[in-house]
Amino acid sequence: MAILQTKNLSKVYNPDTVPVHALRDVSITIDKGEFTSIVGPSGSGKTTLLNMLGGLDKPTSGSVWVNGEEITSMKESKLIDFRLHNIGFVFQHYNLIPVFTAHENVSFIMLLQNRSKKEIRERADDLLEQVGLGDRKNARPVQMSGGQQQRVAVARALASEPKFILADEPTANLDSTSAMNLLDIMNKMNREQNVTFVFSTHDQRVIDRARRVITMVDGAIHKDEYRDVEETAEN
Amino acid sequence: MKTLLTIAWRNIWRNPARSGVLLAAIVAGLWAGVVTVGIINGLMQQRIDYMIESEITHAQIHHPEFLAEGYSWLYIPDHDEIISRLENDSRVLSFTSRTITDGMLQSPVKTSGVRIRGIDADKERETTTFHENLIEGEYLDSGMSSAILIGQEMAREHSMEIGNRVVLTFEDVNNELISASFNIVGIFRSASTDYDRTNVFIRSEEFIKLLSHKPVYHEIGMMLVHEDLAGEKVADLNDHFAGIKAQTWRQLSPELSMLVELGGVMVIIITMIIMAALAFGILNTMLMALFERMREIGMLISIGMSKLRVFTTIMFESVILTLTGAAAGFLLAWITIGYLSGSGLNLEMFAEGAAQLGWDHIIYPVLTPGEYVIIIIVVVLITLISSLYPAIKGIRINPLEAAKSS
Repeated sequence: MAILQTKNLSKVYNPDTVPVHALRDVSITIDKGEFTSIVGPSGSGKTTLLNMLGGLDKPTSGSVWVNGEEITSMKESKLIDFRLHNIGFVFQHYNLIPVFTAHENVSFIMLLQNRSKKEIRERADDLLEQVGLGDRKNARPVQMSGGQQQRVAVARALASEPKFILADEPTANLDSTSAMNLLDIMNKMNREQNVTFVFSTHDQRVIDRARRVITMVDGAIHKDEYRDVEETAEN
Repeated sequence: MKTLLTIAWRNIWRNPARSGVLLAAIVAGLWAGVVTVGIINGLMQQRIDYMIESEITHAQIHHPEFLAEGYSWLYIPDHDEIISRLENDSRVLSFTSRTITDGMLQSPVKTSGVRIRGIDADKERETTTFHENLIEGEYLDSGMSSAILIGQEMAREHSMEIGNRVVLTFEDVNNELISASFNIVGIFRSASTDYDRTNVFIRSEEFIKLLSHKPVYHEIGMMLVHEDLAGEKVADLNDHFAGIKAQTWRQLSPELSMLVELGGVMVIIITMIIMAALAFGILNTMLMALFERMREIGMLISIGMSKLRVFTTIMFESVILTLTGAAAGFLLAWITIGYLSGSGLNLEMFAEGAAQLGWDHIIYPVLTPGEYVIIIIVVVLITLISSLYPAIKGIRINPLEAAKSS
């Protein structure tokens, strides 16, 4: 079942001066439960594509559909609300709220969804346990390592129960051990809870774990391959 | 809402030094501003109260031409009927009739122009506080005949003291020149050295005998239950008596009235300066805080925080920070004004200069609850207005900022 689809997606920056074609007629379909990496050299358009999929940027032409709903024509306020309930984000720089603890960071998005206090508390506890930070829930970002912060970011992305999670270079700032640890957690959630992940990455470790790899060159899809990947989750 | 308040509160303390400096500036600025406003108010109010209570009173009655001409034959007609009406009016607390004319005072040293004021010592004491200005000798209720009170400045210029004699020369109601000698029984000092140099006081009963064969009065001063009643009272008198001119203290002393307006303008100017500093302080701090958090705010909008919530958070941050400082500043100012309104702010070093200008050197700051409320409302409004720009800038942040690498 397709939960994410793009149709002839194009993005041109500076169309009136020096046009830069960031995306050229990109059409992809991502089904529920996929663990997909979008790869390619710098400037190939993978981050632009990820921003379009997340409704953070508007295409010059074409459309993006999430769970059968077109988001490219949505008004900004509706799109923000749509993101809140449908899309999870993991950023390269973690982007946690520095004045909040790990637990508060995970709870925050559920507060925005107006969930009950009890549900928020229990779900935040559960998610932090799942990412291995049950004992660090009262730590603030500055008191945590990069790997721990990114795990909190994954827990936050999952907290809103999104249709899929977009992760932009999630391991770029992590050491090898932390990166593998994070990938194990995401892999496990994908396998056990059928959570859909879409990454943009340069990191071969992430690419090696992906069951689908979309390679982009010059804003267009160069290769789209499905693979059998040996499961290595330790958690 | 509680979460947004929590974020705002914690954001304030994310950079304690910066927030602390702004808080200190708000506290110091508001304290200084409010106390200054209180001092100006006190200074003006003391001047007005002194002028009203010691001489002008809330309202006065004269012959329509007396104040312009000053001749003794321009006395108040229907004096007794007016007095009877005043006695039966519950709005009138007290009143006194004065016999006044301009003349010359001659001493062995020199001659100078004076305004001779004939007063009823007892009625004057009931109506004004002039008797409190006596610094030496006795008041006019002493037994000595032909007694005169002169100002300290006049005594100094004429090198006179208690017990000396002076000669007053003036025109009577028939335009005849009259001269009479008087014994100095007391010396007064008002808030104005100019007043002390140009006014002398004698008993009205003795003055009347020299001026006319019948009682003549040139001025009736009255204190009312409340100053605000002056307008209606003078209108009432002017309607009822054709040959007189009743005026409020504002009409009698336009310079005093102007002083009130000047005080108001100064308060507005000071308030505007403080508010401008406050507004720029908030703007500067909030914009700095905002520019530091572009990525974070971009992230919040990315994950689904509505622009209204982002806007509200930034507004909360400004409002909490400013109002915390403002509350402390007001509290400090309230304590300071409360203390100084009892003990007074003694500007002894300026006493001589202040007295020449007719001002008291001990100032009792005053700020009414209404003025506190107005300043608080203005502070809140300025806070909200100056927080708007950073908040609007905040909601215009592109969510793509969240993905930027630096």
